[in-house]
Amino acid sequence: MRAVNLIPAEQRGGSSVGAGRSGGVAYAVLALFAGIAVLAILYGIASHQVSTRKGQAASLEARAAQAESAAQQLAPYTAFAALRQARTQAVESLVDSRFDWAHAFHEFGRVLPFGASLASLTGTIGKLATTSGGSKSSSSSSPAASVGAVSSVTPPGSIPTFTLTGCAASQDTVAETIDRLRLINGVSTVTLSSATKPGPSGSGAASSGGGSGGCGRAVTYNLQVAFQPLPTTTAAAAAATTRTVSETTTGGSK
Amino acid sequence: MTARDRNVLIVVVLLAILGAGWMLVVSPERGKASKLATQISTAQATLSAAEGKLSEAHNAQAQYATAYAAVVGLGKAVPASDEVPSLIYQLERASSSKNVDFSSITSTLSSSSSSSSATTAAAASAAGFSQMPFTFVFSGSFFDLEHLFAQLDRFTLRTPTGTLQVSGRLLTIQEVKLAPAAAGGVASSNQLSGTISAVAYVLPGTQGLTAGATPLSPSGTSATVSGSGSSTPATPAVVEATP
Repeated sequence: MRAVNLIPAEQRGGSSVGAGRSGGVAYAVLALFAGIAVLAILYGIASHQVSTRKGQAASLEARAAQAESAAQQLAPYTAFAALRQARTQAVESLVDSRFDWAHAFHEFGRVLPFGASLASLTGTIGKLATTSGGSKSSSSSSPAASVGAVSSVTPPGSIPTFTLTGCAASQDTVAETIDRLRLINGVSTVTLSSATKPGPSGSGAASSGGGSGGCGRAVTYNLQVAFQPLPTTTAAAAAATTRTVSETTTGGSK
Repeated sequence: MTARDRNVLIVVVLLAILGAGWMLVVSPERGKASKLATQISTAQATLSAAEGKLSEAHNAQAQYATAYAAVVGLGKAVPASDEVPSLIYQLERASSSKNVDFSSITSTLSSSSSSSSATTAAAASAAGFSQMPFTFVFSGSFFDLEHLFAQLDRFTLRTPTGTLQVSGRLLTIQEVKLAPAAAGGVASSNQLSGTISAVAYVLPGTQGLTAGATPLSPSGTSATVSGSGSSTPATPAVVEATP
């Protein structure tokens, strides 16, 4: 039996199904139109975004310019507020950098033992603790002075140093004085320069012992008391606040 | 050309046309939109900054009376000129209240013989303030002098809440010397002579106390300046000064 090809002649030879007479060109044209339509939609969206955003940017820029202009008009007020803040901070830093002399004197008066008295006292800020005489340390140039650009004459890190001269009933009293001075809050070192008891005749050693005299038969002592270096302004402010609160709580001791 | 080749060619041409359309028309527009989005975010940041500045300025305007009073109040601690008479008056009042005799005051700035640190530091400015070194001499008992030092500190102090309280001149004591006071050549029993080296502060010469501001408005504005939408006039500042 002879085989018969039942497929129409125009559709033979592997031509695609549905290509039709145009051979698929119609589909291609349709796809092209569809693609162009998608592109047009995308373009439209982008174009709309551009126009919207242009308006938005212009509006924002106008508002920013308006706000800038208004702020510029009020700039003197801002400048004055800044001046106030700068001055307040400057005064606060100077206040915080001060050494509390009254507290130190109060403590000296509190810890000196019975039998010991104070004849003279010299306190300086910025001197390093030395064992030299008080007159020498008070006339020498201090580290604080050499730092010309400091913001305070008592800058953080300066060491408050006191030279105490006085009379004590005995050498034991001098020792007790040293021990008790070390109890003062903030004292770092207490150094004895001299403790001289007059000779049997009541003259000589006492008058040349560097003291101010006037102790009679008592011991003339000379001590150096160095406090901790002055803290930074923020730490000083916190410490001052703490101490003030503490003094308020205890009701003071004077 | 077979049908297959033709189809491939059609697809390639189609893609080329669509690609060209994308590249030449759509993509540039989308690029513009993207660029504008960046521009908008920049403009928004600028607007936020400007509004922040404006808000700060409005706040400063609203607080002007308080700020003016504070600056004038700080003038008691750090005046615009040396104000030595006022300083003497304050020291005399403080010493009298503490049973201390205010013996002398010496300006060490003009003293050429002094080699103290106060003089050396006089040229330095403290936080923009000029320094005025002085030496004061007081006479009193140990504890009266202690109370006087506390009083001098209280001229300008920080309250426990951290705010400044100004009732007099800001002084930084640098050196204290206590020695028996000699009354008529004879040392008194419990009276001490206290020599204090201290520094007072003065505002820089280029600034006035209020830098040209008046109670109604700062320098450079009229009293009726108002911000956008704000019609609140500046409240006149009232400063109470106690001698």
